[in-house]
Amino acid sequence: MLTNVESVVTIGRLLRSSTTGYVFGCAVPEPDVPRFGDFVKAPAQRGRTNVIGLIYDIVIEDDPFVRQMVATRDLEEAYILDQRENRQVPIEVSVLAIGYYAGADRIQCGLPPQPPVTLDSIRPCTAAEVLDCTSSFDYLRLIVNSPEAPADELIAVSLRNAAAGRPPEDRAAFLRLAGRELAKMLNRDLPRLENLLRRIRPS
Amino acid sequence: MALEFNKLTKEVEALGQNVAERLAELAEQLPVAQAALDSIGVADEVLLRKVEAARQHRWAGGIPTSEAVNAAFPLPAAPVRYTVIAADGSQVYPDRHGVALYYLINIGSIVFRCGLAQAPDTSSRPEVYYQDDDLYEDEGGQKPKVKIDAERDRAELAELARLSAAEAAQAPTVAMLDNGLLLYISLLTENKALLQELWAGYIDQLDALRASGAAVAGVVDRPRAAGVVRLLHLNSLPLEQITDQALRELGRWERLTDGALFEFLRPGERSALFVHGSPDNEIRYAPRGHNLYFFYVNAGRTGKDALLRVEVPEWVARDPDRLNLVHLALVEQSRVSDGFPYVLMRAHELAVVTLPERRSFDEMVMGSLIRQKLRPGISQKAQGKAWTGAARRRYP
Repeated sequence: MLTNVESVVTIGRLLRSSTTGYVFGCAVPEPDVPRFGDFVKAPAQRGRTNVIGLIYDIVIEDDPFVRQMVATRDLEEAYILDQRENRQVPIEVSVLAIGYYAGADRIQCGLPPQPPVTLDSIRPCTAAEVLDCTSSFDYLRLIVNSPEAPADELIAVSLRNAAAGRPPEDRAAFLRLAGRELAKMLNRDLPRLENLLRRIRPS
Repeated sequence: MALEFNKLTKEVEALGQNVAERLAELAEQLPVAQAALDSIGVADEVLLRKVEAARQHRWAGGIPTSEAVNAAFPLPAAPVRYTVIAADGSQVYPDRHGVALYYLINIGSIVFRCGLAQAPDTSSRPEVYYQDDDLYEDEGGQKPKVKIDAERDRAELAELARLSAAEAAQAPTVAMLDNGLLLYISLLTENKALLQELWAGYIDQLDALRASGAAVAGVVDRPRAAGVVRLLHLNSLPLEQITDQALRELGRWERLTDGALFEFLRPGERSALFVHGSPDNEIRYAPRGHNLYFFYVNAGRTGKDALLRVEVPEWVARDPDRLNLVHLALVEQSRVSDGFPYVLMRAHELAVVTLPERRSFDEMVMGSLIRQKLRPGISQKAQGKAWTGAARRRYP
């Protein structure tokens, strides 16, 4: 759930990055973070800015040890907890960069001037940041043009998340505006547009 | 590419053929050997006299106990709660071509509380040694590798003793080591004082383990030992023909191992106990109350046997509760990891110093030296190895 309270909890640390996105590693996921379509941020330019991004992939790598254990019947809970809590099982979360702080409190949509640096801490965006970031729909084009992210799914989930962070009376209007923006972007691909509009239709 | 595989194809083919021939030979020997084991059953007076005679010749076979040598004991029932602890160690030897002279011992350990739905406690305890006293012997010369290995072995056992002292009061506890409990160091150096010091340090930890109330077991996977095969050979000799020469050979059982002999154990079963006949056991361990016994256990499953050799001190071997706990814990822990105890795999994982970690540590050392305004570097020989050992390409 989006909140305006700044999270002090780091949900992961940066493994690698470029201006178009970054990948962070984290421990066993909590039920609420990280999730596909979440808005997250990572510091860049020595803390002068934060790069806002959307989580588009969460990969839990296996290893031969775990593969062996999968076949064991009646696996005691302690073995599972050992694997999850004690072993450094790599969980990699991929993020698509969609904006950055240009100044103290203004979020600029687009790619950041510099990517975040290794081991920078990743935190969830506050509700205000999501609101700011989605006040224009320019970021949708970055998603549509992304070669890696599952664009349609990411657009739908991120728009629903952004709507959920707004007052209830504004949500339907926000999604209708988003639909119009998508119609401009995808006017040559009507089946795709229709599918997306169905996904974000206000309930 | 330094290794030209095309020049080895014939030898590799011959190697495969050789293995097949040996296995065929073994298959012929095995029923006869197992019949010989069955014929002994519970060792009689005659065999025990032969054992006594053989021990005068530094015979290192398996000495039968009151259990029938061909017996198979089923898996005991599990207590509701018990704890399994494992420790393993790895080392980085001093490298005179490296950035600085040091050695490092890293001990990994895991405390697994069976019956509690909680993550085990794991730890990794590295220690680096760099003072002159650490690196050089009093009589001069660099500390030998055998001593560093023995320090690592002692540290593994000390870690088990430390953890057991805290755990054994809470629940029945078994401490496991990925190695036999008998230190094979007497052939590695002739320095008697050094041997005495190494053994004493190790056996002190066995004292601590015994005092903790835990059981301890040294585990060997794919055992190549032939202690019980030696017993079969001894049994075949008339008392008056027991000589150094006769005992040095294995007669008709040459190349046979205990592992093959105990193939009849079904998953979960253990063999009879035997006393470790090694002279080192008799001279070093037994007088301190740690006379070593061994047995074999099939820690595998139907369709995939996994024979382990297990060494335990007499205070475990003679205590049915502790012995059953060792037996049970080995089989239960191996069920998850398909034939070898899970805790030992994890302890190894926590202990091992990988090559990238070694490189990172050397970089830390180098940084420290630079901060001291020194100009560290590796030898040109080591540099050359680094250059030429990297991925290479050759074009025909």
